[in-house]
Amino acid sequence: MDLLANLGLGFATALTPVNIAYCFVGTLLGTLIGVLPGIGPTATIAMLLPITLSLSPVTALIMLAGIYYGAQYGGSTTAILVNLPGESSSAVTAIDGYQMARQGRAGTALATAALGSFFAGTVATLVVAIFAPPLTAIALQFGPAEYFALMMLGLITAVALAHGSILKALAMVTLGLLLGLVGTDIYTGAPRFTLGYPELADGLNFVAVAVGVFGIAEILRNLENEHEREVVAQEVRGLLPSGEDLRRMVAPILRGTALGSILGVLPGGGHILASFASYTIEKRISKTPERFGHGAIEGVAAPESANNAAAQTSFIPMLTLGIPSNPVMALMIGAMIIQGITPGPNVVTDEPALFWGIIVSMWVGNLLLVILNLPLIGLWVRLLKVPYYVLFPAILAFSAIGIYSINSNTFDLFAVAVFGLLGYVLLKFECEPAPLLLGFVLGPMLEEHLRRAMIISRGDATVFFTRPLSAALLAIAVLVLIVVLLPNVARKREQVFQEEDA
Amino acid sequence: MIGRRKDLSAGILFIVIGALFVYGALGQELGTPIRMGPGFFPLILAGVLILLGALLFLQGLRQPSAEPMVVPWWGLVLILLAPTVFGLTVQGLGLLPAVALVVLISAFASSRMSAWLALLLTIGLTVFCILVFSVGLGLPIRLLGPWLSL
Amino acid sequence: MIRRHLTAAATILGLSMGGALAQDYPTGTVSVVVPFSAGGPTDTVARLVTESMSRTLGQQVIVENVGGAGGTLGAARVAKAAPDGYNLLLHHIGMATTATLYRSLPYDPQTAFAPIGLITDVPMTLVARKDLEPQDLAGLISYVKANKDTVTYANAGVGAASHLCGMLFMSALQTPLTTVPYKGTGPAMTDLIGGQVDLMCDQTTNTTNQIKGGEIKAYAVFLDQRLDSLPDLPTAKEGGLEGVELGIWHGLYAPAGTPEPVIAKLADALKTALADPKVVERFAELGTKPVPADQATPAALQAKLTAEIARWRPVIEAAGIYAD
Repeated sequence: MDLLANLGLGFATALTPVNIAYCFVGTLLGTLIGVLPGIGPTATIAMLLPITLSLSPVTALIMLAGIYYGAQYGGSTTAILVNLPGESSSAVTAIDGYQMARQGRAGTALATAALGSFFAGTVATLVVAIFAPPLTAIALQFGPAEYFALMMLGLITAVALAHGSILKALAMVTLGLLLGLVGTDIYTGAPRFTLGYPELADGLNFVAVAVGVFGIAEILRNLENEHEREVVAQEVRGLLPSGEDLRRMVAPILRGTALGSILGVLPGGGHILASFASYTIEKRISKTPERFGHGAIEGVAAPESANNAAAQTSFIPMLTLGIPSNPVMALMIGAMIIQGITPGPNVVTDEPALFWGIIVSMWVGNLLLVILNLPLIGLWVRLLKVPYYVLFPAILAFSAIGIYSINSNTFDLFAVAVFGLLGYVLLKFECEPAPLLLGFVLGPMLEEHLRRAMIISRGDATVFFTRPLSAALLAIAVLVLIVVLLPNVARKREQVFQEEDA
Repeated sequence: MIGRRKDLSAGILFIVIGALFVYGALGQELGTPIRMGPGFFPLILAGVLILLGALLFLQGLRQPSAEPMVVPWWGLVLILLAPTVFGLTVQGLGLLPAVALVVLISAFASSRMSAWLALLLTIGLTVFCILVFSVGLGLPIRLLGPWLSL
Repeated sequence: MIRRHLTAAATILGLSMGGALAQDYPTGTVSVVVPFSAGGPTDTVARLVTESMSRTLGQQVIVENVGGAGGTLGAARVAKAAPDGYNLLLHHIGMATTATLYRSLPYDPQTAFAPIGLITDVPMTLVARKDLEPQDLAGLISYVKANKDTVTYANAGVGAASHLCGMLFMSALQTPLTTVPYKGTGPAMTDLIGGQVDLMCDQTTNTTNQIKGGEIKAYAVFLDQRLDSLPDLPTAKEGGLEGVELGIWHGLYAPAGTPEPVIAKLADALKTALADPKVVERFAELGTKPVPADQATPAALQAKLTAEIARWRPVIEAAGIYAD
């Protein structure tokens, strides 16, 4: 069978001592840098890219992939420990992960993330190896109308992210969408809402907004009542998940992996939607949805598996077509070109060792990640014992450097201050930041695809309903909306929240 | 008033922000449905935001007033000042002084911080950041900027 | 690791000796600003060239990505930087087009910089979704003219290579097409492969592999001779289309006022880099080659810049599209 021969070639490539060593170094460096607050995978890879340039192409790419997984896991660690997502997908992990940490269950949350990621990574690696070409074909069926429908579905799921008022969640999504539109309009080149600053021409920086509305707002909230406050419980209960925890996380991990593997293939936004959508599904089908937002382990397991599965399958469009599906993949493509490999449909036939070596190294990288991180959990959790008044200046310093390193744009730092203030005010009004971030990421894409669909269909709005994929996605979106707004469901929601208040 | 009825205040905030975006969007071309202009989509969204804000406002009117809120004003000023100062100084003074300033300024946001501890923390974190980012990662930011070299 | 320590130490030393003589140049790390994000085609060109220049100059030449606003933010940064030879800019054709695309730039592209030399000229290819009917360029031209209301042309946003090329193509045909803008080449290529749009014209860096892999159809290269990497692809002139020759040229600049000896030293290092077999080989894989030695000079770059600003001004003004 071809697959076995190919995987054999992959293992032969990935398992040379040199490649294992660099895979390990990449995973380690990625974790260590990615765990610094405010520094997510994109910033980490951009910073570490030059280090890989002196290596051979296969080794360099294996190391880069290692940095990617490491940074992604490191980013989730920070999201759980200090409520600071380094990228959009870990914004979801922060919701329940941080609550778990506040309850002294940081170790469990981190272990859940590691185990979920490893399982998802293993399955997704197989998906990449077996289904890369057919999945690519499906992804190509997605035109602007389908993307628009998918984004709408994603936005509607955002309502479930909030554990408070639906109205506020909707308002936060809308505000996020609007903030996402700041910058140059790609259709006409007209600057929008830039207040005349050329620094805003490319829009607000995601990390700056995330650090502001999540990080700064959280620091301020902790400063409110320093004497009695529990930043994070000092007493840390068991590091590893209990049998009960394991039982709870199995199904969410399976569903998250499936969803992430599928959505990750879609170029542009797929991996972002994966973690949000998997969280929504878990909350919807849970018998105890009121636990979500208050430290539900399912709320960590599902998005982390979805996120990691999507991270893996997002390699598919890059490997089969040479198309970057997210900024990290764009960096990987840049690295390949510098190494003398032009990514494209030819890579699999011209460089089979490289192609299959990378795929197998994904799995090796995930394995190393678990081996590396399970022992490190004890260390990370101990960080929480650092007094908060020492921790937050460090968070600010790392975030400042991380944000500045992305584009050397000082404007992004002023944005941190502005969004810190806005985030804090909204927090005071009990508006949650996660839906805002989802809107912020999806805003420009939603508009882009809507307008593009209308241009290509020559103004025929029925295109959203006549194309089968688009129609199906919109039908699901409407269904979700009905379920959310249905009177008896809403009444049940209210009861749930009253119980909580009592 | 602010903070006593959270939905009311949130509603007002969303309405104000929505109105600002409407103002911005009206300065742009609206275009046609076939070729939407840059103002089309933002205008719709800003309208939705105002509507949602109004609904929240109405909901807030029926709420009883809540307890007054605590705001750490001193911390608020310092925490927001820290990244701003970093932005203003990193190119002129360089990375080293800018990091030191961030740590020093933000350290005093906590009432538990003493002057000595702040100084110690500043030195420690600055050295750590320089070692990690400049030496370890080779980040191309000057340690000491042109304002310092005469 | 040790080298990094030395580099950091050298940076500090270099700063404290700010007034060192020009003939000692360079005594510290030289920073080349690329006004686009890391990993893009321009960044790739920069990293290949600077790596070789580091060896020639005996000092670290690093790439600093200062993206944003069509490359104008990074250019503005260098225009304002100290003219000491330690702050350079590597920019592409956008240096000339932004002069018209942006009606208020914080610098004058013609006077704010001291040119060092041209680097490379990346050719453009006209490509289409693989099931588009016409078999050759002549067929395409009549097809486009007959179906001008339904044919769609993808580009990667205002000022992008694909946008410039589209403007040239449409003005040569005297036929305006429905343009569908994208945020970058990647998504545009995705939709072209997926058959959502009909046509695009983009750099060989972005199209060569997809053409070879049969994912898209290629009609012509907008160059006066065929490409070594795609020998079967006719030139536009062979297909009966004149005046669309277009290359995405890259140049290296210093801020105006940089001492003459420093510029000369940099121009020499650039020339050496462009003759470096490794650079030539990598450029070839990208479907391009370094400019001839006589083009890697300040005079050649200045002439190119002036000529290109003059060439694009009427095209952009006729299209009436501005980026601010």
